[in-house]
Amino acid sequence: MPDARMEEFMARIERGDKIEAHDWMPEDYRLLLLRLIHMHAVSEIMGAYPEKEWVPKAPTLRRKMSLAAKVQDEIGHGQLLLRVAEDLAAPLGRHRVDLMDDVITGRVKFHNVFHMEAPTWADAGIIGWLVDGAAIITQTALLDCSYAPYARVLKRICAEESFHMQHGESIILSLAEGEPWQREMLQEALNRWWEAILFFFGPPVVTDAARRMMEYRIRSRTNEELRQKFLTRYVPRIRAVGLEIPDSALRYDDEAGLWRYTEPDWERLSRMVRDNTGPKSQERISLRRRAHQDQAWVREALLRARAAAAV
Amino acid sequence: MAMTQMEKEPAQELNANTSYDVYEIFVQASDLDPHVHVGSLLAPSPEWALQLARENFLRRAQAVSVWAVRRGDVHGTPDDPDWFAREFDRKYRDVSGYADNARRWKRFKAQAMHIDDVIADVRKE
Repeated sequence: MPDARMEEFMARIERGDKIEAHDWMPEDYRLLLLRLIHMHAVSEIMGAYPEKEWVPKAPTLRRKMSLAAKVQDEIGHGQLLLRVAEDLAAPLGRHRVDLMDDVITGRVKFHNVFHMEAPTWADAGIIGWLVDGAAIITQTALLDCSYAPYARVLKRICAEESFHMQHGESIILSLAEGEPWQREMLQEALNRWWEAILFFFGPPVVTDAARRMMEYRIRSRTNEELRQKFLTRYVPRIRAVGLEIPDSALRYDDEAGLWRYTEPDWERLSRMVRDNTGPKSQERISLRRRAHQDQAWVREALLRARAAAAV
Repeated sequence: MAMTQMEKEPAQELNANTSYDVYEIFVQASDLDPHVHVGSLLAPSPEWALQLARENFLRRAQAVSVWAVRRGDVHGTPDDPDWFAREFDRKYRDVSGYADNARRWKRFKAQAMHIDDVIADVRKE
């Protein structure tokens, strides 16, 4: 006999109802959401690392301040998302400390782009412009998610991302307006990031998990649909500032209404994310571990202060 | 009455593990606005909840007041959609229930009055 609760749940989803943390939900729905939101939260936090490297080296005070603000936003987004993940994880006996420990032990993955090096200021610009641009597309695609606590947090995150978008554009416009060596530096940064950005959207094949997420209306667009939207938005702008996209096969196929491109090396880049073997994976994870350990005494002191106050 | 939704939140289990509490955060944007729920956070005390609320929710937005309420102290309505059911048409309570006034005033060569016009008029020097 089919589970009556499951039938009622799917009827709610198909009606367009939103699910709350305290509602009954199938285990499968909870686990898919938890995996998605946990990775999203951790990626926000690990995403602050490549950018924070450029705070002390930013070319002007204003750039330094806006970059610091952006780093603060990313950590803030991590905090909001962790709360959503915690409420999903609590019935499984897992809490914030476990979700954060998972970064250090490698049990949770974070986005491929945050395993990469950012050797020049132009890399900081490309991250702000194109990596954030790609992330904005994947996040806006989740605004109608059937899980209301996630959708509400995304609404706030997207509002702040609009600042990140302008900030990234401002950096690359300054470089594009600059001296030949600055334009060259920008071109080299684009060459370094292009494949990783295409990879960011995930493989074109609709995996079983992705299909289930669409049935549950957690997400409504495939990886490929989002990559195509990114290309349509960004290819003309990248070309407009005089940059050359490092893919000679890239073209718009009018007949199919699709962008054709050289596929990223799925195997190599997936391995990097899975095994944390990117050029900066281990360094950033150990920075994260150090931050966690060095501040343990603060967390303990706050709890002791409360216990003392309660006596 | 059914259990309230907040009591069913997994907050208690969370507390058992970390000893930090979940606080629901309400922000008042200006003196003439009500406090609005913006989200939640984990904090070791109400004072810290307010500090973290400023960091998490007021990096840009302006506000005049923030409330932090321990989640267990929030009482919510039951999940039952019938709790919000409308037993019959309530148009008679709404402006939309009197949409024909404008047409009927025309016969008397005068216009229907709207509250916004009255407010603007009273404010005018």
